[in-house]
Amino acid sequence: MKNLLLAFSFLATMTVTAFSQGKAVTGTVTAAEDGQALPGVTVVEKGTQNATFTDLDGQYTLTVAGEEATLIFSFIGYTPQSLAVGAKAEINASLSADVAGLEEVIVVGYGNQKRSKISGAVGTIDSKEITSMPVLRTEQALQGRAAGVQVTQNSGQPGSTQSIRIRGTGSLNNAEPLYVIDGIPSGGIDYLNPADIASISILKDAASAAIYGARGGNGVVLITTKSGSKNQKPQITYESYYGVQEPWKYMALLNAEEYAILMNESRSAAGLTPLAALANPSALETFDWQDEIFERAAMMNHSFSFTKGTESSSTAIGGSYFTQDGIVGGDKGNFERYTFRVNTRQDGGERFRLGQNVNFTHLNRSALAENNEFATPVGRALNMDPITQARRDDGSFAYSNFIDSDIANPANQIAINNDFWTTNRFVGSSFAEFDLLSNLTFRSTMSVDLSLGSQRIFNPTYDLGIGPNDPDRPAYEFRPVNSLILGENKWSNWQWENIVTYDKELSNGDELKVVAGYSSLKNRSTSFYGSRDSLATNDVQYAYLNNSLNAAEQAPSANGGISESAFIGQFMRVDYGLGDAISLAGTIRRDGSSRFGVNNRYGIFPSFSAAWNMTELPWVAEKDWIDFLKLRASWGQNGNADGIGNYDYTSLVYNGLNYTFGGDQVQVNGAGPINTSNPDLKWETVEQTNIGIDADLYKGKLNIVLDYFVKSTNDMLAVVPLPGVVGYLPSATNVASAKNTGVEFMVNHRNQVGAVEYAIGGNISFIRNEVTGLGEGGQPISTGSVFGIGDLVAYTEIGQPIAYFYGYETAGIFQTDEEAAANTALPEAQAGDVIFVDQNGDGVVDGEDKVMIGNPHPDFTYGFNFEANYKSFDFSLFLQGAHGNDLLNGVFRYDLNTTNLPVSALERWTGEGSTNVYPRISHSDPNQNNRISDRFVEDGSFMRIKNVQLGYTLPESIMQRLSIGKCRVYVAASNLFTFTNYSGLDPEIGSRGTLEIGIDRGFYPSARTFMAGVNVNF
Amino acid sequence: MNLKTALFIGFFASTLVACKSEFLDVKPLVGSTEANFFLNAADAESATIACYNNLQQEVTNIQGSSQLAPHFRWYFGDIVSDDSHKGGSGDGDEPELFLFENFQGLSSSKLILAEWQVAYRGIAYCNLALDRIPGVEMDETDKNRFLGEAAFIRAFWYFNLVTMYGDVPLILANLAPSEYQQSRTPASEVWAQIETDLELARQYLPKRSGISVSEIGRATWGAATALLAKAHAYQSEWAPCRDLTYDIVGSGEYFLEGDYNNIFTEAGENGPGSIWEIQYMNASGGNWGNQLEGTFTNVFTRARGQFGGYGFNIPEQNFVDEFESGDPRLGASVFQLGDQMGDRGEFTLESTGMPHEYYTKKFFINASDEAPFGDPNPNGYSNDRVIRYADVLLFHAEAQYHLGDEATARTFVNFVRGRARASGTDPNALPAIGDDVAGADLLEAIYHERRVELGLEGHRFFDLVRQGRAAQVLADQGFVAGVNEVFPIPEVEITLSGGNITQNNGY
Repeated sequence: MKNLLLAFSFLATMTVTAFSQGKAVTGTVTAAEDGQALPGVTVVEKGTQNATFTDLDGQYTLTVAGEEATLIFSFIGYTPQSLAVGAKAEINASLSADVAGLEEVIVVGYGNQKRSKISGAVGTIDSKEITSMPVLRTEQALQGRAAGVQVTQNSGQPGSTQSIRIRGTGSLNNAEPLYVIDGIPSGGIDYLNPADIASISILKDAASAAIYGARGGNGVVLITTKSGSKNQKPQITYESYYGVQEPWKYMALLNAEEYAILMNESRSAAGLTPLAALANPSALETFDWQDEIFERAAMMNHSFSFTKGTESSSTAIGGSYFTQDGIVGGDKGNFERYTFRVNTRQDGGERFRLGQNVNFTHLNRSALAENNEFATPVGRALNMDPITQARRDDGSFAYSNFIDSDIANPANQIAINNDFWTTNRFVGSSFAEFDLLSNLTFRSTMSVDLSLGSQRIFNPTYDLGIGPNDPDRPAYEFRPVNSLILGENKWSNWQWENIVTYDKELSNGDELKVVAGYSSLKNRSTSFYGSRDSLATNDVQYAYLNNSLNAAEQAPSANGGISESAFIGQFMRVDYGLGDAISLAGTIRRDGSSRFGVNNRYGIFPSFSAAWNMTELPWVAEKDWIDFLKLRASWGQNGNADGIGNYDYTSLVYNGLNYTFGGDQVQVNGAGPINTSNPDLKWETVEQTNIGIDADLYKGKLNIVLDYFVKSTNDMLAVVPLPGVVGYLPSATNVASAKNTGVEFMVNHRNQVGAVEYAIGGNISFIRNEVTGLGEGGQPISTGSVFGIGDLVAYTEIGQPIAYFYGYETAGIFQTDEEAAANTALPEAQAGDVIFVDQNGDGVVDGEDKVMIGNPHPDFTYGFNFEANYKSFDFSLFLQGAHGNDLLNGVFRYDLNTTNLPVSALERWTGEGSTNVYPRISHSDPNQNNRISDRFVEDGSFMRIKNVQLGYTLPESIMQRLSIGKCRVYVAASNLFTFTNYSGLDPEIGSRGTLEIGIDRGFYPSARTFMAGVNVNF
Repeated sequence: MNLKTALFIGFFASTLVACKSEFLDVKPLVGSTEANFFLNAADAESATIACYNNLQQEVTNIQGSSQLAPHFRWYFGDIVSDDSHKGGSGDGDEPELFLFENFQGLSSSKLILAEWQVAYRGIAYCNLALDRIPGVEMDETDKNRFLGEAAFIRAFWYFNLVTMYGDVPLILANLAPSEYQQSRTPASEVWAQIETDLELARQYLPKRSGISVSEIGRATWGAATALLAKAHAYQSEWAPCRDLTYDIVGSGEYFLEGDYNNIFTEAGENGPGSIWEIQYMNASGGNWGNQLEGTFTNVFTRARGQFGGYGFNIPEQNFVDEFESGDPRLGASVFQLGDQMGDRGEFTLESTGMPHEYYTKKFFINASDEAPFGDPNPNGYSNDRVIRYADVLLFHAEAQYHLGDEATARTFVNFVRGRARASGTDPNALPAIGDDVAGADLLEAIYHERRVELGLEGHRFFDLVRQGRAAQVLADQGFVAGVNEVFPIPEVEITLSGGNITQNNGY
């Protein structure tokens, strides 16, 4: 360290001596609190590169241009000071410690709180962290940044959604958190441009989320968008980046020769004659299907913002354009977004304020089918045989002569795909705030969230046969009639909220803050779909319903409906600050919803929390390395109402219970209820206890947050089987329960070494998930069907995590026929077959012998970031990962016998002693070697370097000449490296609903992206 | 505090109570709910048709999972008996059925669970109709007819349940949650309820001659009477059986189709001898997970290989041997090697790819008659001839025999034989039974006639059980007397009933 300081001092003095003219200034820098000298403080002449550092005694010497110079003194953990030189030769500075972090105001539900006083568990992410990584969706910015928040993508395709779990999966139905943007609960945050976000608060425990009552059960993500401030000069920023995406990995599959050898072996093992086309394996040419469907794809973003403030108003305007092509399908997997927003505030006199937020977003998406094992380009490319080429010599798409069934040519599938979504989203709110008394404020807000979506799906005719009526042409490679589906959806939320805030400092120094309010929400969603077939031309450009050739004769197919719901909430929160050290908070909220059954219309959600700021305690205060220490605890109950359908409380009569009568066999309509009704239907209750410690150490250089929580969900909705005598199908009832317990740890360290400022931070969370109840009889739930395995792979039962992998345990391979015959539990086995364990010893291997073979929930998840600044350069690195989670590899269609396989299939059993891991390959499988077992479960632990960025801020001198405030250029890479043992295309596989987690069905992988960009402030 | 402030406080206070609680009363706007259903005649009719709808269920999702289970009546009536064996693609195809065929069936089987669930679902819709239709304002005759239909269908479901499982829970109204865990009712009470329902149906349902062509397929007086006669026969109550079957004969509503070969053709659907037929059509666009108005029986019983079927319900040699020489009913019931399978080709071992020498013919349909759109497999058109006139005639014969009138018994058997003879080419085949056949021999003749007349229509197993002959005839299939007369109660249902439902003896 000392050498480094000496070296920099040397360099600095060299710089100084080079400029032999000028005025020499010297001085000492001390800390304001205790007068101690501060070494390593940066002393820079304002507007230049002329800088030096204080030595071990806090002293410096600097030659400045002249008397008009200004010196800026700055050091990590201290407030910078700016002093004019003037005529003086000695300039001393006294810097005060910046424990600004504590005075930082954090947005919580319906208000703000100082970080030093918060008693709930709130994670924060500021705008710099959000924009440091070029992201399309805001949820991606949350990934790995906050302890306890797990974000996984559901697909790598542009525009696809993410699953977010705050402190584990607490519901079998809907475990997504509530998003609140600028105080308005929102239907989805895909309309936001991440660059417009000022800060994000994540309310993790019951106490902080309690004020959202029946909707806060899964945690709350509060987003505040940028707004102008008063008396602010106009500021314009422009940001832009361009990136190229590419797939980061191909799966290792068999080549043509290996495929032919294995197919021949498989056929002869089943007593089938070998195929003539595969008679000469070494002569076959390999075709790489992954290479065929994956390509380099571009992405680009332009965004600008304008903020300004006068005495009595402020304005923020922003707009952006973003486009991203997919690495599969290029522009067939494209996502495009235009955003525009205006955010204004006005003062109408001393006691009256108005504000408006208006957002308009236009989204276009062209989507390919994803994440299933029979009809997606990725799934088909991995299963397609490596001999068939995508196109024949004449350019037409070819079909495979080896695979029948639904594995069709993926290149053709991409070419004929026409599935377009267009959404226009308008989100606006307007508020008026009035100071009734000096510390009593009333605020009324009206907001609307309107989404108009339309969809157009055109399925053209195609025929991959060689000539018309090719008899070998498989059914899936032929569509004789084209068809068109057009749909319109309208979705709207109207809300009205009235809040009263009372904020008073009492005479004894205590602080009392009361927030009380009333909120009402009405939601409405309508849809309309029409479809026709036999359109006149096979061109998507002319795909409109009136172009159908059957317009006159055949009735078009049309359907449409409407669904509505309403919420009412009344709430109150009291914050009491007892002196400086103790903060107490209590919240109570009463929520009613149209979704709840008549018998349980309203629910009450209380919570309590307390925080003890121990900083001033004698034994803490004497340790000068502890700047801040707070202990907090909370308990509360929230609800989860979002997993309930709008009309689940009643039994809908279904008009489709038809029969047929008459000599002509005509269909007649019958109607009746399908499900039982449930007038007792209510919200799921999430009860959470949280204990945490916040500490700031070493003058703001080290910051630690540690939390322990227990989250129990009761009255969880589950569709539990009913006795057959009831007759109707069961509807969801509040009978299940689950528990999540965990520990979260976050640490941040900032420091300065010479001219390099750096920050290192990380978070890690350990969460254990367990189902504690599944209703009367505790019937387990089986989900997750995988075609290639032909069975359900996920199982939810009491005492285990939600949706774990359930199947047979294997114990090696039978090496000889005698060994196989000796095992009477597997009567069909022969040498080379898999040994399945008879767990209960009843002499038969059947459904009763299934056990837990994998757990898709990670043991822990973590994120790590590193940032450094050196003069005009900045560097940042962010990585995140999960460990201990299992994935189910359901990519390959073993049920078809003829698909391509991973190279591990070459390790198949070929004779006694050849392998004890992989069975023999054969077209017939009497022992059901491919049944669901631990052979398909793999370790999905991964660490991914999510973002690496290197930026350079252009010198001020150049900027001044162009009258630009600041210009920064950067290069970055996203998903640069992924370290994992998983054999599939991507280990970060999300979920399909809450009961199917970590099942790979041909996952569309995320891309590795290289980009360059620029940020300009005018 | 000035006026402005006071106004604002007042405004604020009012906003707190602005929204009324009706705000939360959001009713579905698409589709009605139980609250606004059953308001008029059209609703009553729809509710009645919903009762019919479940009759068509053959391949069903087990509640609570996405597993489909076929559970045809002929699985239990024919395959479990000595008339046919399972077939399919091999032992691994429908393994649970293979176990039942050898009387090793498990209570965990999906087959019996699906059958149980579908039966009670059908009963629930009938209960709903019987409960709510009386309250609807509509024409009395129509109302009574709907009630009669619901009662008939409920009796039909209970008939299936009690012959399959023995004692079953008797549910006569939709259950409230506190009543979900029911226990079994003795079979005798279930039969009594069946009889009550059918008496009501007989009273309200029109005769077949009185309904219009467009209503063919609806339950009729004849259907209710025939089912009631069978119910009595299954309880060995021969006097009422005789009287009821005689009612049908005497009504002149039905007569035997002239040519037996016509019965199981498309033209022969709802023919002169059709008393109760479950209707199916091939143009409803159903698919595997959602069986609409088509039947799966056609594809399930058709041969594999080039014929594209699944190859179930393979007639056994002893069934073929049962037919007398020259009996045209053999040719109408069974495909033999060398036969033309309609327009699909010649039946050889190579063309089917399987070693079986016989296939069921009664549910065969030509390729040219298949569904005009969609997947043809779930969309067969063959109706399920549940009760035919010949069945009623033979029950009459059996009843008369048991009541001592052997002469009449012979006459009725000869009616059936006579039609069969007339359907063939040999006028000397199937000679009428003479007076020399008497006593036990006559009973054997009646049983024989039932087997060859109603072969592969799902009757055999249930006939053998009710006739008390199952233990003897099915001995080498593993039938154990006292156990296998009924099927096991699904164990899932026992668990969900909280143990109130007990298992059948021996399972």
